[in-house]
Amino acid sequence: MEFGRLWGDWLEMMRTIEVFLVIIIITGAFIIASLFTILPSPRQVSPLNLRRLALTTLQTLDVDYDLSSTVFKPDNDVAWGQLQVALSACLPPNIVYNLTVYEVGVGTELYTVIRSISNAESLGVGSDSASGLVASSNVTFNVVPEKIGEKGGGGTLYILNCSDANGWWITGYTGQSLAEDLYNLLSPYFKATIMVQNTTQLGQILNGTALQGESLGNATVINTVGEEVRIPSEYCKTPYSDDNYARYCHFLGERVCLYNWTWASIVGYPFYYVSNTGYFNGPNDQNGWGVFGMKCVAAAGLNSFLRGLNGEGYVTDTVGWITLGNPPTTPAMEQVQLSSSALGFTNYYGIYPSPYQTATRAVPSTIQNRYNLNATAYIFDPVNAGGKTWLAGATFVHRNSTGYIKGKLIPIGLTRTTDIRITALAILSYYEPRLYRSEYTATGTSRLVVLQLGQAGGV
Amino acid sequence: MAGSTIDHLVSVTIFLTAMLLFISLFNQTIQTAILYQRHRHLATKCSDLIDNMLLSPGYPLEWGKTNCTPTSFGLQDPEFTQYRLSPFSLMRLQSLTGSPVYYPKTGLNYSNVTMGFGNFLLVPYTEAINYSTAGKLLGINNTYGFQLTITPIITVSISDAQLNPLKLSVDVAGAGFPLSNAIVSYCFITVEPTGGEGAFPAYTVDYGTSYTNDEGKVILDFPSVDGTQTSYVLIAYAHLSGLIGVGYHQHVTHTANYVIPFISDFGTREVIIAHSYDVHGGSNPAEIAYNATFVLLTEDFTLREMPMENSTGKVGKINYGEGKPYKNITIPTYNPGILVITYRKSAQESGIVLMPWGISAMAFKVAFGDDLSDEEWVATDIRQVIVNKIAYQVTLALWSLEGYGVIG
Repeated sequence: MEFGRLWGDWLEMMRTIEVFLVIIIITGAFIIASLFTILPSPRQVSPLNLRRLALTTLQTLDVDYDLSSTVFKPDNDVAWGQLQVALSACLPPNIVYNLTVYEVGVGTELYTVIRSISNAESLGVGSDSASGLVASSNVTFNVVPEKIGEKGGGGTLYILNCSDANGWWITGYTGQSLAEDLYNLLSPYFKATIMVQNTTQLGQILNGTALQGESLGNATVINTVGEEVRIPSEYCKTPYSDDNYARYCHFLGERVCLYNWTWASIVGYPFYYVSNTGYFNGPNDQNGWGVFGMKCVAAAGLNSFLRGLNGEGYVTDTVGWITLGNPPTTPAMEQVQLSSSALGFTNYYGIYPSPYQTATRAVPSTIQNRYNLNATAYIFDPVNAGGKTWLAGATFVHRNSTGYIKGKLIPIGLTRTTDIRITALAILSYYEPRLYRSEYTATGTSRLVVLQLGQAGGV
Repeated sequence: MAGSTIDHLVSVTIFLTAMLLFISLFNQTIQTAILYQRHRHLATKCSDLIDNMLLSPGYPLEWGKTNCTPTSFGLQDPEFTQYRLSPFSLMRLQSLTGSPVYYPKTGLNYSNVTMGFGNFLLVPYTEAINYSTAGKLLGINNTYGFQLTITPIITVSISDAQLNPLKLSVDVAGAGFPLSNAIVSYCFITVEPTGGEGAFPAYTVDYGTSYTNDEGKVILDFPSVDGTQTSYVLIAYAHLSGLIGVGYHQHVTHTANYVIPFISDFGTREVIIAHSYDVHGGSNPAEIAYNATFVLLTEDFTLREMPMENSTGKVGKINYGEGKPYKNITIPTYNPGILVITYRKSAQESGIVLMPWGISAMAFKVAFGDDLSDEEWVATDIRQVIVNKIAYQVTLALWSLEGYGVIG
């Protein structure tokens, strides 16, 4: 009876007992879940990107190849001391580091430790690293340039190396020495480079005859003798001699248009004189400054050339001087600087002329509208002076009435003495041949640098 | 029957209480996890965003050298790859820290990155890129707030060790660590108030190199200079294992009237030369004559003067007040350098002021973005960068504008 009463009481409290059982189960579940739920440390919640910091630190230290230089001097304690000072100086105070240099591919091991520096015994609980391969200064790089004209027509470079003509505004050089420099600078970039050795050969190409089976059309012609231009003897007569040979310059313009040449004038006023020491051998055949074998065409030369390039008939020039250097009509000179794109090309092609030059014969931008020219591949930034814009170095692309490119002119309007690298840079800036670089891999020329960073202190 | 009812009531009450308690406990764990995920996401976003800013030049590529507003934001120098920043793009960022300067003669407010007397960099708000524009261009407008700080790694501090004959102390240090055996190349410019043509001041420029000792210090002697009577400036570059820093120090004999350069036009490289009285007021205003030059850091880490043509406005006189217009000067190049302007009021009263052309030329610090002091949770990330050869450290602080509140 007593048992039955107690059992009845228990049965009446069964719901409460069940609830307690549920509480025990949920409490157990919570405790188990809490045991397995590991909250991250604050450093893991918002981590500093140590890998990127390590990478950018390596890049900063190697910006002038100082790191590469030190890595290949494992016994130079002074250099390694400086590297350690630099590392400590550029990393935040709470960052500890370990920099290790490995030799790559020597012996049976792929990576062999060369030297290691660190500012702490341990990098803490969490660290990250970045690595980079550095090359020894003894590594040889092979550069294969793309050939101009390789994809399409042209690709011939004519360097006017005529020994039977004198130069002007190339003081300190000869046309021949400049031609040689140009050959060394530019011949790797052209399918064919032809040294035009005399005015007879110049006459041949003007008449459309190739000298060595090269492609005559779309060629580049560099006049290496400054303000003077060579004239073959067959053109030293009428009608080419009209107006002190201005008509010959007009004929040159027509030929540049006909063959779609790129004509480069390396310095000064283009087409200001004509020269042929074999023909102009009289006592008065000099340029007024004592250089014999030439005739002065004066400013009519460039104007006639531009008319010829633009397909206009020849007329006696009435325009006169158009470039800088004729005060008060035009400013005497302007300082010009390499354009940003030209600066980029200096690095790309490894040609480093002074970025600041003095222009005394820069052409005005107005020739673009007058002669259907379009200036492109600026070597120097345009300058404004005397109410006009002056272009000391650019490629003027001529388009005919149907819009086809027919001839180009690169007038480098700097003062003497010329820097031939400007002309080379101007031509490369226009054609932009690519350079394919490859490294001669050799044992011991590359080392692996690993920078491991950790955070000191805190959790 | 009554016992059963009581059991029911008690059990339901206990059950509901227990459930509320457990929901609350589990909710706390879930909240922590959600917060962790949000903070982790913010840190990842911060790392991505700093790389977006530093590894893209923006568009147009040369926007730092023009007056245009870019259509894509990026600070990389377009002539290089990796973490190399354009010194001109950085110049166009509206400063967070400097108080804006108003110049009545142009009617414009100028972003102020000036680093003390005589070291000016004032960019018109009309040409500076503001925080809101940058946020829109980066696609984080109204979503994230940020503060970008670009600080030179190497500190080159210069002070007077002795005035007559002049001895200057140069201290070179990194992040609390002195740079021993660092090469220090310097350019020392002294003002000759009566040496120029007419009433314009002239200047002399001396160059030299030296090395720091174990404490990162070097004393430079100028035995022929009396520092108490002469206005001068020393610009020094320190170089060690790829790290380059720059410092400057000037001493002037006259501070009542001086010239203040304002950037006028990035596209034409024009700088306005203003009279200090028109900007800051003062007492005893007077006409002053000035003579400017430009100094470049060359490839071999030496400083060289780049002569300026007279047509660039390098010399002139400037007066204060109504009807006295400001003068213009044209910087001759887009290569970073320092515009050095000497000025004189009289044969005994002269001075010299500097303005960097390209932020790195004088290692100016840049702070851009919004104030982070009231933010609840801020993620930061760091990169080492090069700005025209000078080593800088970039820190990006990022926070969410959508809040971190979790219900419960």
